[in-house]
Amino acid sequence: MSYPPKLQAIIGLFESLPEQGKRENLIAYCDNAKRVEPKEGETFDIEDIRKDEECTDEVAVFLKITPEGGVSFRMRLGPQVQTLTKAMTAILCKGLEGCAPQAVLDLPSDFVPRIVGAELVRLRSQTTYYILTRMKQICKVWLDRKRAAECT
Amino acid sequence: MSYFNAEVLVDCDWVEKHQNDLSVRIVESNEDVLLYDTGHIAGAVHIDWRRDLQDQLVRDYVSPELFAQLCSRNGITPETTVVFYGDKSNWWSTYALWAFRLYGHTKVKLLNGGRAKWVAEKRATTREVPSLTATAYPIPAKRFDDEIRAFYEDTLAHSKAAKPLVDVRSPSEFSGETTHMPEYPQEGVLRGGHIPGAKSMPWKTATNEDATFKSVEELVKIYEGQLGLKKEDDIIAYCRIGERSSHTWFVLTYLLGFKNVRNYDGSWTEWGNRVRSPIERS
Repeated sequence: MSYPPKLQAIIGLFESLPEQGKRENLIAYCDNAKRVEPKEGETFDIEDIRKDEECTDEVAVFLKITPEGGVSFRMRLGPQVQTLTKAMTAILCKGLEGCAPQAVLDLPSDFVPRIVGAELVRLRSQTTYYILTRMKQICKVWLDRKRAAECT
Repeated sequence: MSYFNAEVLVDCDWVEKHQNDLSVRIVESNEDVLLYDTGHIAGAVHIDWRRDLQDQLVRDYVSPELFAQLCSRNGITPETTVVFYGDKSNWWSTYALWAFRLYGHTKVKLLNGGRAKWVAEKRATTREVPSLTATAYPIPAKRFDDEIRAFYEDTLAHSKAAKPLVDVRSPSEFSGETTHMPEYPQEGVLRGGHIPGAKSMPWKTATNEDATFKSVEELVKIYEGQLGLKKEDDIIAYCRIGERSSHTWFVLTYLLGFKNVRNYDGSWTEWGNRVRSPIERS
């Protein structure tokens, strides 16, 4: 399976690192999670802001489709969201920038352990996958709306 | 009126004063596996419930040999006072404290309010991991499983004998409506409900909003008044995997002075999956 080029580069970087290096880079991405929040004045095609029952805090996903037809995500996470989830959010926003919405939908989640590393893939790290699920959901809504508009 | 063992509970000022005390080792234990790396109390080491305390193959705790190695590499001797703190209102730090007690390490303390309290008071944190000289920690002669830990058979006998069983999970887990905590993903339990005869008292009842413990008067009302527990009772506490019940074990043992409390760490993930385990729903 080939991944979007930007995501592939991130996967490659993490795979080259020892466990400690992976942790340090995850912390660096976590520190950057604030940077992927929506900025003042930005507008979006779809916003999905909610706190699901199985999550510790609110996760807000904002999607904009660029004139070239690629995705641009912004995410805002509640303060209780775990470090690994924050890191994965920043990674996915960067790695999926510019992809086609259908490519996001088709993306398998098997890259997560390759980034996170075996030691950190454990009980209660499932929220890491949740972020990708939410990104896929918003892309699906956008595609469904687009198809519906084309039929009318 | 003060806690039964008031000295076991320390506040942020105490921890700050003892950060460089060689007879003290501060230990952070969290659910969030990377939280320590984002910043911690200076001098604190990280002990992870799964990597460091649990056997990596069998569902059990590490051998006494591995526990001695863990203490040694974290600069802990049998004389060291180990001060635990962590996220989630100290779930995992009370779990780690309980695990240390399993190996007979009795010089333990807990930061009241845990990590949340330290951060809320805007106390300093660092990302620097302390560089420690390994100590010689003798291999514990035994693990105190009989004293503070309950297994399935113990708990079944306890249930049949109508002895006190405290279910510290959320009300919806106790009733069988859900098999996992609110705000957590499903983690694979086949049946919902509770152990026959168990009484519900969610762990959170013992804490304030800022993660500190309620006053001794309030705790007495909850556990002796509402639950009807008596100091000499033989008590087993359980939750889903043993961390929330460690919190209640700590409250009953250290803050209220109950003499005979055991933590059933197999908890609902064992009970709710076991074939023909008796279950009540309400």
